[in-house]
Amino acid sequence: MIVFKTFLKVLNKCKAPIILYTIILVFFAGFNTKTSEQGNEFTASKPDIVIVCEDKVEGITKNLVEYLSKNSNIKEIENNEEKRNDALFYRDVNYIVYIPKNFRSDFLEHQNPQIAIKSTGDYQASLANMLLERYLNVANTYLEFDFTEEEMIDKLQETLETKVSVEMTSKLDTDSLYKVSTYYNFTNYCILAGSIYVICLILSSFKNEKVLKRTIISSLNYQKYNRILLASNSLFAFVLWFFYILLSFVLFGSVMWSLHGAFYILNSFVFSLFALTLAFFLGNIIKNKNALNGIINVIALGSSFLCGAFVPMEWLPNTVLNLAHILPSYYFIKSNELIKTIEVFDFASLKSIYLNMIIIVIFAIGFMILSSIFTSKKRKLA
Amino acid sequence: MFFHNFKYTLKTLFKSKALIFWTFAFPLILGTFFSMAFSNIEESEKLDIISIAIVNNEDFQENVAFVEAFKTLSKEGEEQLFATQYVTEEEAASLLNKKEISGYLLLEKTPKIVVNTSGIYETILKEVVEEIEENSKVISSIASYETAKHVTEQATNEEIQNIRNTIIEKVLKIQQINKTNMQDISNANLSYTMIEFYTLIAMTCLYGGILGMVAVNQNMPNMSSNGKRISISPLSKGKLILSSVLASYIVQLIGLLLLFLYTLFVLKVDYGNQFSFIVLLSLVGSFAGLSLGIFIASILKASENTKTGIMISVTMLGCFLSGMMGITMKYIIDKNIPLLNKLNPANMITDGFYSLYYYSTHERFYFNIISLLVFSFILIFFSTLSLRRQKYDSI
Repeated sequence: MIVFKTFLKVLNKCKAPIILYTIILVFFAGFNTKTSEQGNEFTASKPDIVIVCEDKVEGITKNLVEYLSKNSNIKEIENNEEKRNDALFYRDVNYIVYIPKNFRSDFLEHQNPQIAIKSTGDYQASLANMLLERYLNVANTYLEFDFTEEEMIDKLQETLETKVSVEMTSKLDTDSLYKVSTYYNFTNYCILAGSIYVICLILSSFKNEKVLKRTIISSLNYQKYNRILLASNSLFAFVLWFFYILLSFVLFGSVMWSLHGAFYILNSFVFSLFALTLAFFLGNIIKNKNALNGIINVIALGSSFLCGAFVPMEWLPNTVLNLAHILPSYYFIKSNELIKTIEVFDFASLKSIYLNMIIIVIFAIGFMILSSIFTSKKRKLA
Repeated sequence: MFFHNFKYTLKTLFKSKALIFWTFAFPLILGTFFSMAFSNIEESEKLDIISIAIVNNEDFQENVAFVEAFKTLSKEGEEQLFATQYVTEEEAASLLNKKEISGYLLLEKTPKIVVNTSGIYETILKEVVEEIEENSKVISSIASYETAKHVTEQATNEEIQNIRNTIIEKVLKIQQINKTNMQDISNANLSYTMIEFYTLIAMTCLYGGILGMVAVNQNMPNMSSNGKRISISPLSKGKLILSSVLASYIVQLIGLLLLFLYTLFVLKVDYGNQFSFIVLLSLVGSFAGLSLGIFIASILKASENTKTGIMISVTMLGCFLSGMMGITMKYIIDKNIPLLNKLNPANMITDGFYSLYYYSTHERFYFNIISLLVFSFILIFFSTLSLRRQKYDSI
């Protein structure tokens, strides 16, 4: 009990970083919850745009503005070019349309007025560009025939309302699963950094020369001492994992009560096992407490960046992904990404997930063997 | 004496492994991670060629508008939008199931699109199909309108058909000439991942403050025995502090220079081409970091570890708010709580680089430089107040 009590005391001292990791995690997960709700109906993507209209909003100009508003999300940005430029740079908007002064009269007089645009060049912007071109093409065609402005607007509205039916085959709640996946990918960082930080700090406190000497001469059985220490550390890793699981239930609710949720939980459990063994190994080899922070950052940040915990895997360059194969985080995150897309849970669809888990377990066993080799050597030296 | 202290401060700082790791090596490592993770983001956000399938049934083959449109859009070249496979319905469904295509088009009198999920590629496919449908609608709508206008009551069916055909030809011709008059006036420098590297520079500038902090601590009698000995020596305190601070500023600048060279030549970060402005911002930014270090060292009566902890937390919080852990953060703060970022030195540095990269005028840049200088001088003023005429009854 005395070992466990000491363990809790040291643990209490290093709660700050754990709280910090958790805050960042919740913040990160919260960020990704802004996408709209989605059911089994197809919903068209809408680009975020800003319309800067210098013309009076009447007639054809009004119709253009209405058409764009209907097919995209109009962002409210302060009427200031610098603010608009900032919004474009930080991708708050994908596309800015500048409708020039006298657009309506120039258009109706066949002068083909120029519309200036600003675009981020990504796919949302391409979609916005398609929408605008589509409108202008149809309007230009009608203009060649002698319709009145009103007739033209009627015709435009009628044609632009053309809709084709879209059937969606997947019944998956992709939006929620996407969020859960992002959350669990991010826990890669929290679990690794949290476990390594705490376990290394605790082990190094117990290894403090004076403490160690006192423990050795005490009547406490050495094996029992080691066992309790190992059990306490495992307990900590378990509690940390459990805490993040609970948090995911709080954040995502119903999605977690499904087979998908169960696999996310199982996957993160296997990964926590690995984090525990890695932390135990590092705790045994690191002597210098000051070096600890550096090592944690390099390991946890490095594997998170390289394996897609922060930036989605599909956006990473292939060379980086190939390199990431040597890290267990890669298999953990890869599984999360696979779980997201499973429609039917059968052996075929789960095969690669099981395989990834086995690889992570092999890594864990490897680190366990390494730490026992290392400690036995050290004991002999002592 | 000035040079003696200067030289030994330099030596002590360079020999401290932990300090050198955090101020020299860590930014390089982080920069490498950034570049590995972010190098592809913007490319992946560009519109790719979309894989689709079309059910090659009779209805489709007979619909010239659709056949021609998809032929043009699938032609290899710069304008290519789709990679189209012409298959049977079963094959299309299986391709979709295997996620090899984003969706397929089934034409049975009216067109229908089958997709897996909602998404941007799926939306673009839908847009294109709608546009093709729409064009035929435009033709028939104009044709009926114009025919009704030109046809007299005595006209024969053949005449009506002829008039209709001429009108259709005219519409088709108009549609072929793309008259849309749009001009893209967006700035060429739109790469938002650059912000990550700018926050990295900001972090290095501020972390460098730890060096200044350690250097000042050395001279403080309440921090170490060394400090006590230095303090009772008959030396001008001003000279001591100034030489220590100068030494740490130089170490800081060497670290920053390393980071610049590394990001510039190895990671290929784009700082724009205004060299002198970049140097000015780096010097001022480091100075702000330095003054923060001196401030924390002199104002707080705490152990060196606590001071370092506070320094790191302040720096990390500042970098977080200026977009290091997510570029959107900077924008959210700039937009909603602008005051917070106007007071945040990490953001002043980041925003300075951003304004050099994105804006052609220098107003915003100078605003940041002045803010940094004001920030530094206020901190130095308070540090001086606290450092001068220190007396201890007992220590």
